[in-house]
Amino acid sequence: MSKAPDLKKQREQEQHLRHLLQGQESKRGFLIAFEGADGSGKTTQRRLFKKWLETDGHEVISVKWADSPLVKPLIRARKGARALSPQEHTLLYASDFRHQLECIILPALWAGKMVIADGYLFTGLARAGARDLRLNWILNCYEPLFWPDVAFYFDVSPETSGKRKASTLAPQFYDAGQDVTNIEDPYESYNHFLARMRQEYRALASIFQMITVDAEQSIYEQHRSIRQMFREATKREWAEWNMEAMLEWLDRQERSTEVQSAF
Amino acid sequence: MPSDSPKGRLIALEGAGGPALPDAGNRLVRSLLKPRQEGGVSQFDASGIFFELRKGEKNIPQPSPRTLLLLYAADLVFRLRWEIKPALEEGYLVVAAPYVDSAIAFGKAAGLSRRWLADLFDFAPKPHACYRLKEKRDIGIWKFKRSEGYLEFCCKTLLKSSPIWQPVELREKYLAYLEALEKRGGCETVSDRVLSR
Repeated sequence: MSKAPDLKKQREQEQHLRHLLQGQESKRGFLIAFEGADGSGKTTQRRLFKKWLETDGHEVISVKWADSPLVKPLIRARKGARALSPQEHTLLYASDFRHQLECIILPALWAGKMVIADGYLFTGLARAGARDLRLNWILNCYEPLFWPDVAFYFDVSPETSGKRKASTLAPQFYDAGQDVTNIEDPYESYNHFLARMRQEYRALASIFQMITVDAEQSIYEQHRSIRQMFREATKREWAEWNMEAMLEWLDRQERSTEVQSAF
Repeated sequence: MPSDSPKGRLIALEGAGGPALPDAGNRLVRSLLKPRQEGGVSQFDASGIFFELRKGEKNIPQPSPRTLLLLYAADLVFRLRWEIKPALEEGYLVVAAPYVDSAIAFGKAAGLSRRWLADLFDFAPKPHACYRLKEKRDIGIWKFKRSEGYLEFCCKTLLKSSPIWQPVELREKYLAYLEALEKRGGCETVSDRVLSR
């Protein structure tokens, strides 16, 4: 049997979705990623930035790394049992990321909301990279990639980060990278692993044009420069950057609505 | 031959049907074992990921096909690490029921790209042989069994998320992919002789 009618239908559907995407571009929200190691101060800055955007009249939602209600309990249980290999670790984080992206981030952006991600795609890439997994395989786990409009990278030395972290809680097994460093002391392992992660983050920041924030500065100085850099930033056109991820999501939304309205 | 399994033999058994698959896997093990060799079946969800999802919070958005595949891959990494590779190193015969092609069949049925699926599972060693458990295709109404396999779990989960995911259609495409795989020489059907053991 000929597949031509199917292909024609597929092309028409794709055309229709592209048209929808273009129409939404001016109305859609902004995705801002705050990236950096634990103790880099990104959560403090994310809170301040959210307040500032809200004061400016925007509707804002925040999402956190590894916080999907579906996958988070699985990750937590396995981290507690120290039973994760680097690959399993990456796959579970990628599942969590995909679930949050499809169920929280994309619907919010489509509805015109601002989304601030406290740890986004690059967190997954840096942590898996620091565990010596192949970058191509890691990227594939997160495909189709969905790029943020702006990504801030909070660059901090392992010493400062270690001090900030130690002032609150002892680093946990996987956060300290003890699964790959084989160092028994969590603080020592954390410093070692953080140096690796910083290397990964810095490489990603340069390749993917993240905006580097000097996270050794005072909280106020950082906040002020983030506001300034955000004002100067421009949206990354969905059609140019995020077409595949958007089409996949939008196709499902569209078809679901069609089927539901048929009943 | 898988480079990291010097002594044992890894056999993939692909298909649908929940508990029918590991049942057939046990029969396959019995038929393929050499004298004094030991063997066993590695089943779906050894890590308990899908069990926990089933028992977990009900009022949260259901995962997409892509998320379900990432979770299957995580489960397979677990199976390889704790079941399959150690058994192969001991010289065992291991039937992985299901293995990689069942997941790829599901992904293809859900419209995902062959390239993404192949790259996702490229950590899994190539099996020494691959079999397919043939099933009747002409089922009018497909009822979910209490004890589910990967395909059944995915169909049930996706149907909860949206009516666009029709289990009968997904299953048809899934089985068609495995049938096509056999035609290309990628696997062979488990014979009735094996299944009657």
